[in-house]
Amino acid sequence: MAEIVGGFGVPHNPHFYSWATNGHPLAAEIVEMYEGVARPLRAASPDTIVFFTSDHYNIFFEESVPIFSIGVADSARGPSDYDTIPAREVRIDAALAREVQRHVVGEDFDVGASQEFEFDHTVIGPLSFLLPDPANGIALVPVFVSAFMRPIASASRCYALGRAIRAAIERHPAPVRVAAVASGSFSLEIGGPWIANDSHVGVPDPAWVERVVELLREGDVETLVAEATDAQLEQAGNAGAELLDWIAMLGVIDACAPAYLDVQPQFGHAYAAWPVA
Amino acid sequence: MSVYAVNKLCRRLVHDPALREELATSPETGLRSAQPPLDEDEIGLLLAGDVGALSRRGANSFLLHQLARFGLLGLDLESYGERIRAEWAPERAQRGF
Repeated sequence: MAEIVGGFGVPHNPHFYSWATNGHPLAAEIVEMYEGVARPLRAASPDTIVFFTSDHYNIFFEESVPIFSIGVADSARGPSDYDTIPAREVRIDAALAREVQRHVVGEDFDVGASQEFEFDHTVIGPLSFLLPDPANGIALVPVFVSAFMRPIASASRCYALGRAIRAAIERHPAPVRVAAVASGSFSLEIGGPWIANDSHVGVPDPAWVERVVELLREGDVETLVAEATDAQLEQAGNAGAELLDWIAMLGVIDACAPAYLDVQPQFGHAYAAWPVA
Repeated sequence: MSVYAVNKLCRRLVHDPALREELATSPETGLRSAQPPLDEDEIGLLLAGDVGALSRRGANSFLLHQLARFGLLGLDLESYGERIRAEWAPERAQRGF
């Protein structure tokens, strides 16, 4: 039977790969924080990663904007939106992806199946740090959680989806080691009214970032879900609902204090790891 | 203003280098060939790089900023930020920005 080996959370700033490779003043910090997640991820030795992310208008826009969708292709290339991150083909565990979709739809979650797509920077950016060798052999099950075009799912619905995905994994007959990874920020405004006074981006709700981090440190997922209301996520910026990816990921594991947690408050995001002992 | 036409144009330019080239070299031609069509008001605001007014009228700010990311319609990220901040100054002041 499949086994869950840990949960992990990372940001996906599209410039971090370039910064890390061209001597930016934050290069060492970025590499160190991603490595804080990569080390326990490598130690968990996953065969497959259920990767929660939110499309940035790159996959879903014209035909449909699903609230949830699972990628069921055999593989997908990316990133489609930033040529400053090395492109790679990423294998998808299509058998598990289809099994997860079948199970969660059976549990009354209306989750679509994406059959052909390209990943954007929200997936390929973090993978460049977590799994830099494209030939690592680890497959993804991408789970797309809509976060940029309202209406969006509630935090409790995303957490419940995570629990349902956990159940699907645990009943999967193949002996697969499965990790869950979430990609996203807690407070971030890109190009909108709440940008910083000196940039085209900003962190409009730093107090919310502190609160999310506090609750993550305490392993208090129940309170996090209760406080992550739609109004709160909106106040956190036009990318603030990326927290839903973290909440869905937390549904896959048992709530507890993380083994690793570090924060970059100036970006409104964090890095964390919950390896299963 | 249709909003969707503006949003779709800004979304397309991320994935369509030919569109970016056209908007860089013949912006009005590029804007007039958009599908669905932009209305005259939208074309005027886009040619003026008036992202503040477009944002105020409901265009998606994340997508609008792609114009500045690619240096189109006289915008760069600095001027983009200045125009958005100027347009939303009253609301920003209310929120303590």
